Amino acid sequence: MITPLMTPAGNWILYGVAVTVAAPLAAGGLAALGMAGRSLRMLAVAATAVSFVASLMIAVGWQMTNGDPVSFGSVLGEGRLIFIDGLNAVLLPYVGLVALAILLVAPRRSIEPAMVKRMLLGTAATFALFATSHPLALVVLWAVTAQLTWRSTRVTPGGRSAARVFAIYMWLAFACMAVGTAMLVADPPWERSSGLMGTSGGWLVAVAVMLRKGIVPFHSWYPALFSGAPMATALAATMPQVASYTAVRLLVGHADGVATELEVLAQFALITAVYGAALALVQRDLRGFIGALAMSQSALVLAGLSGRLPMELNGAFCVWISSGLAITGIGLVTWALESRAGDISLETLQGRFWDAPALAAFFLLFGMAAIGLPGTLSFVADDLIVSGSLDDQLHAGLMVIAATVLCGIATMRCWFHVFGGPSAVDSPKHGILPRERLTLITLIAVLFVLGIWPGPLVRALEKAAERVLFTPAPQPPAAADPPRAAAPAAPYSSPGLLRLLNVPSATKGILLC
Amino acid sequence: MSSHDLISLLVIAQLAAPLATLATIGLPALAGRPLGETATTRLVGIGFAAGFLSGVAALVILGGRSFRPEIVHLATWFAVGHHEATINLVADALSVPYVCFSSGLCWLVNAFAGKYLHREPGFTRFFILLALFGAGMNLMVLADSIDVLFAGWECLGISSALLIGFFHERTNAVKAALRAFTTYRICDVGILTASVVVHRAVGSGDFDRLFGVDWPNGTCLVSATTATVVSLLLVFATLGKTAQVPFSGWLPRAMEGPTPSSAIFYGALSIHAGAYVLLRCEALLEQAPLARASLILIGTGTAIHASLVGRVQTDLKSVLAYASMTQASLILVEIGLGWRVIPLVHVIGHAILRSLQILRSPSALHDRYELAAALGGHPGSGNSWPLSMMPKTWQDHLYRVALDRGYEEMAVSRLVVGPIVRLLDRAAAAEKAWITWLSGESAGDRR
Repeated sequence: MITPLMTPAGNWILYGVAVTVAAPLAAGGLAALGMAGRSLRMLAVAATAVSFVASLMIAVGWQMTNGDPVSFGSVLGEGRLIFIDGLNAVLLPYVGLVALAILLVAPRRSIEPAMVKRMLLGTAATFALFATSHPLALVVLWAVTAQLTWRSTRVTPGGRSAARVFAIYMWLAFACMAVGTAMLVADPPWERSSGLMGTSGGWLVAVAVMLRKGIVPFHSWYPALFSGAPMATALAATMPQVASYTAVRLLVGHADGVATELEVLAQFALITAVYGAALALVQRDLRGFIGALAMSQSALVLAGLSGRLPMELNGAFCVWISSGLAITGIGLVTWALESRAGDISLETLQGRFWDAPALAAFFLLFGMAAIGLPGTLSFVADDLIVSGSLDDQLHAGLMVIAATVLCGIATMRCWFHVFGGPSAVDSPKHGILPRERLTLITLIAVLFVLGIWPGPLVRALEKAAERVLFTPAPQPPAAADPPRAAAPAAPYSSPGLLRLLNVPSATKGILLC
Repeated sequence: MSSHDLISLLVIAQLAAPLATLATIGLPALAGRPLGETATTRLVGIGFAAGFLSGVAALVILGGRSFRPEIVHLATWFAVGHHEATINLVADALSVPYVCFSSGLCWLVNAFAGKYLHREPGFTRFFILLALFGAGMNLMVLADSIDVLFAGWECLGISSALLIGFFHERTNAVKAALRAFTTYRICDVGILTASVVVHRAVGSGDFDRLFGVDWPNGTCLVSATTATVVSLLLVFATLGKTAQVPFSGWLPRAMEGPTPSSAIFYGALSIHAGAYVLLRCEALLEQAPLARASLILIGTGTAIHASLVGRVQTDLKSVLAYASMTQASLILVEIGLGWRVIPLVHVIGHAILRSLQILRSPSALHDRYELAAALGGHPGSGNSWPLSMMPKTWQDHLYRVALDRGYEEMAVSRLVVGPIVRLLDRAAAAEKAWITWLSGESAGDRR
């Protein structure tokens, strides 16, 4: 059952979504006009904090609906312009927290109007993307977020080559996504016996997801972005995982089995998870390590999303949040270290412990939180995804275990190489700033609190997982329901998308426009 | 208050005490305000003492009712569909004496370390890791489900690796820590997979659904196939922490850590963690002759290897490390033979003796001079008679083999690690070349 917006909970959520998107948008506008002056960080942090609070309001509002999804917007038939369920009710605050942490920890020299403007506009676009399930909106917002990332990377000294690589992959991804979605709308498989164009559209969307998520063999932009782009840009572009969200909205969701596209995607994602973790083991610089680790963990999410069991999906959602927060933490600590001491190599022991002992402690804690330290959310996430995968397919479970083990070894190798070894100093030279300490402690606290008391989060995500997996495919039309006269006779292999695109013929023309 | 409530309370105290200590000293350190040395040592000591005393009280109560086991259901951690992770603890004839022993030993080592590490940079870090180890140990020992056991097991591994690398400015210490962690992590595959197999077989990770908790008279409640698979996976998991061939190379290097942690980890508790897990799951092993045979085989091989290699070591800590390895191997053989109480007694006896030896090792020369003075001459070790009866050429050959640590590390390095690292290096180089080509820059341009 879908809760309409006329209810108090619905209104609450609608206002929440509006504020979540509008606050960073307005602040980005002010930053672009140069009206923030010296209070640029304060403006950006305030706007993102407002968005974060509003996203929490959305989560509370969704709880008030007893777990039913809330939707709004029939501009394009039944495509939901605003759609809130258990998944994005949890993910919106997550996106807000990541953005807020990045702005708080960003070194002073990174806080300049153009960067802040792009960061805020990117945050607004990401919030908007995570609040919608409409295919056309998803396509447009994909393009906006990718463009902002490309621009930020390109203007960074030494970032042109990474921007070029990113642009090549993202253009391909956008083209596949746009064409695939259009083909699906133009030729919904349920209206013709062959549905060849629709099926091809589904495959194109799957390829787009692979490109945007950095799945083997389309993964090379991922470590390159971390190496060439500012840390804020790399984290903001990858940690929310817009491609995973798109996959959930467009490809996952099936009453009669798993979409073939997603099953194939999952196999590539499993290879990526193991390959990324293995690459992380031999990286020669810290940023390369973070890129490879992020690639592996993000692929684990996609691998879990293909599951037939709620447990697997739930595990994927938990990995999404736990690895996202942990890698954000590692990235922020790295950024803080780099701002004090320049680029960090992993070829030899760097001996930075006594130089920055607090950062060493935070790096270790985030590293442990990324690899499944008991008491952190990643321990729960690993448990769920490993159990779910092994229940579902033995090889998948074993590959997930292999990826987890390799990520653990790579993370400890990285920590020992950065902080271990002979040191040139015998007392702390680079302390940690209060805003850095507060932000990192908050991230760690979230990971530990959710790890020790995961019940509420797991329950919320379970509802989302069950809804995504078990919502019945569109039913054959009732005689008295003319707009649904073209409902499918046989389920299409991507019924999640089918549900979203189950629109009257007259509306399809608008969609295509 | 019934005896059930009382035991539940005491079991919770055994777990909560070191955890509370960890939070009490860890949080101020994270906030940039670490406690002083005296406060740190006292707080950690109080935590271990509380664990020990509540263990003794529980032991007395359990003894009064003929060691009838008591399961304490703390909470359901999380549940999704049929998958349920419960926090169940068990108080029985195995767990309660063991927790008394481990908490007591940690308490003593804490007192020793407070003096030994006085004014050492990283003093607070050592005690945070010691508290994490104590909490993990108690969690593992009291676990009545494989999920909880794995949580404790992971805490042991992480604290162990970090303590080996405690003197992080020493290159060898860092390398040794990384080696130990890698070994642990590879062997964790066993326990992780075993956990999933158990969940799949009985719907939860609870031991009472797997084999009951009436130690040492547990009854296997799953099929022989499941029991064999789980047992083999657990045997694999224990090979790392117990330093069995071919995973033994990390143990002599682990002595790079501070002496108190070496004593408690590699002389006493961590090295026997695997044996404890196997003893806990003895009912499964009973149904798995293949797993028991592999234990006997690996244990015997490692005992011979460690005994020979230990004889040619030139530093005391390495000698003690190989002696620990020998005894741990023999304990695994005893478990493989189906014995239950003897391995437990062996574990406790060996742990106490070896930790004392390691703690005394910095004063070994002094001890030796005292002994020589008391005896009126040098106490010679001499060759043990089976070796001295061998032909001289055999002795020389054996000496060379022992000096090269049985070629074990060379074989692992050349046949397994080397090829994998070379392959990964090539993959990374190919990635870099592809990116360079794609970005249209020459190889020298990249940042």
